[in-house]
Amino acid sequence: MRVVIAEDLALLREGIVALLREHDIDVVAQAEDGPGLLRAISGHAPDLAIVDVRLPPSFRDEGLRAALEARRRQPDLSVLVLSQYVETAYADELIAENSAGIGYLLKERIGDVRAFLDAVHRVAAGGTVLDRQVVTQMLAPHDRAPDGLAGLTAREREVLQLIAEGRSNAGIADALVVTPGAVEKHITSIFGKLDLPSQGDDHRRVLAVLAYLKAAG
Amino acid sequence: MGWMSDHPWRSVPPVPSVVPLKRWVAAQADGLTRTQFARLVAYRAVLLAASLLLVLWAMTGGGTFWPGWAWLGLAAPLLLDLSWRLPRRLETVASQRVALIWALIATATLLLLGTWVMAGIDGDVTRFWPEWPLFGLTTGGIAYSVFTLHDRVLLAQGRRTLRARVDLLSTSRRATIDAQAAELRRIERDLHDGAQARLVALALHLGRAELRLDDQPEVQALIHDAQREADTAIAELRDLARGIVPPLLADRGLVAAVQALAAQSPLGTRVTADVGRPLEPAVENAAYFVIAEAVTNTTKHAAAEHSWVRLRADRRGLDLEVGDDGCGGADPSGSGLAGLRARVEALDGTLVVHSPPGEGTRLEVRLPCGS
Repeated sequence: MRVVIAEDLALLREGIVALLREHDIDVVAQAEDGPGLLRAISGHAPDLAIVDVRLPPSFRDEGLRAALEARRRQPDLSVLVLSQYVETAYADELIAENSAGIGYLLKERIGDVRAFLDAVHRVAAGGTVLDRQVVTQMLAPHDRAPDGLAGLTAREREVLQLIAEGRSNAGIADALVVTPGAVEKHITSIFGKLDLPSQGDDHRRVLAVLAYLKAAG
Repeated sequence: MGWMSDHPWRSVPPVPSVVPLKRWVAAQADGLTRTQFARLVAYRAVLLAASLLLVLWAMTGGGTFWPGWAWLGLAAPLLLDLSWRLPRRLETVASQRVALIWALIATATLLLLGTWVMAGIDGDVTRFWPEWPLFGLTTGGIAYSVFTLHDRVLLAQGRRTLRARVDLLSTSRRATIDAQAAELRRIERDLHDGAQARLVALALHLGRAELRLDDQPEVQALIHDAQREADTAIAELRDLARGIVPPLLADRGLVAAVQALAAQSPLGTRVTADVGRPLEPAVENAAYFVIAEAVTNTTKHAAAEHSWVRLRADRRGLDLEVGDDGCGGADPSGSGLAGLRARVEALDGTLVVHSPPGEGTRLEVRLPCGS
C-alpha cells in the first residue's frame, strides 16, 4: 500500500510515518500543506492520502479542500481525513459523491494504534470509516427524521454507530462485550426498524446507513 | 367738525379725509407687525418732535440751546429700545447678554456725554465729570463680558473635548473587541494545532510503545492508562476550544457555521443568507452567538413548528433575523435577551424583539461593521 501524508506538525507527521512503516505500509511522500499534497499525489499516484483538515497557510480547511480536489483528479484515491474536531458538514462533503474509500476520524484516534491501522487498511481497501462522534452527531435526534430512528433502543444506536464506523460484527461484539449472535440480532432489528434490507458485507451496510442518514439529513 | 365752518382757512382745500390716511397707514404698515409699525410711528414722531423743537428754538430767537435737553429726553427711550432689540440678532444667549450690556453702557455713555455737553453749553461746567461713571460702566461691562464669554468658551471647549473623547472611546472599544475576537480565534487555533496536536503525537508514541510491549502486560497497562489520560486531555482541550470559537465559524465563516447549527436543530431551521463579503471576526462571533442562543431558545420554549434565520450583509453591516411561528410572548427584558442585547450593543448594534403572544417571535439584529 502506497501512502501520502499531509500534516503540518512535524512531530505528529513523523510519528504517523514511523508507525505506518513499522507495519509495512509504504509512505511514499510527505506534505505540509494543500498544494504540497496535490503535488505529491500527482507525482506518486498513491493508494491512500492521510490528510489533516487544517493546513498552512491559513489553518482553516485547506486539507479538506485539497483532499476533495485530489479525489477529483484521481477518483480511485482513498482519503483518510484527520481532524482535531468533527463537523458533520465536512463528513457530508467527503461522502457526498462517493463514500467508497473515505475516512474521517478525530486525530486522537491515532493513539489507539491498532484501530487506526485497521481504519487505514479499510479505507485503502475502499471502505468507509466515520468517527463515532460524526455518527453521533448525524444520529442526534431530529424531529424531522423518520420515526424509525426514534424507535431505536440505546443499544441499537450504539450498534448502528459501530456499523457506520465500518466495524465487522465480530468487532462490534468485542466493542460492546456481547456475543456475535446478539450483535446479529440487533442489526436485524435495526434494519427492520429503519426499513432497510439487511446486507451481507460491512461496506454495503455502511452505505445503507449513510444513505439513510443522508436521506434523513 | 363744526370749527371748520368758521375757520379763517376755509378757502384752502379740505384736509384729506380719513380714508386716504387709512390708505397711507396701510401702505406704511405693509409687511410690518403691529409692534414694528407702532415703533416706526414712534420713531418718526420723535424725529418730528425734535425737528419742531429746533424750529421753535430758532423762531424764538435762539439763545441758550435748550432743545438739546429735550433731545436727550427724547433720545433716551429710542436708545433703550435699540439696546434692547439689536442684541437679539445674535445667535447665542451668552453673546446676546453681553451685547445687551454693552448697548446699555453705550446708551448711558451717550446720555452722560449729552448731559455733559449740554451742561457745558449752559456754561456751568468746569471739568469732565462723566469720567468716573464711564469708568465704572466700562469696567463693569468688561467684567461681565469676561465672565459670561469665558464660561461659554469653556463650555464649547468642554463639548469639543467630550466629543473627541467619545469618538476615541468608540474607536478604541471597537478596536478592543476586534482584537479580542482575533485573539480568541488565535487561541482556538493554538489549542487545536499546538497543545492538542502535541498530545495526539504523545498518544501516538504511547500507542507505538504499547504495541512493542506485548510481553510486559503490566507496563502495557500503565501505558494504556497514560493514553487514556492523554485522550481525556485532548477531549477537554477540544471542548474548551469549541467553547471559545466554534471551529467551523473560524474555518468557514458565519454562513457555514449557521447552516451547520440549523442542520442540527430539531426544528430544521431554514437559513437564507445573502452575505457576499467576509465579515469581521467580532461581527461573526456576535452574530453566531446571538443566532445560536436564539435558536436554542426557540427549540426550548417557543413550541414552534418552523423557525428560520435570515442573514444579509452590505457594506455597512450585517442584518440578521431569527424567527419562529411558536407561542411568542418572550420577555424582552429577560436575562437571556438582555445578554444578547449587551453582546450586540458592545458593537454599537441594535436588537429588537417582536414577540406578541400567540404570534411567534422575531429577533431582529443589526450589527454595523467597523470603519
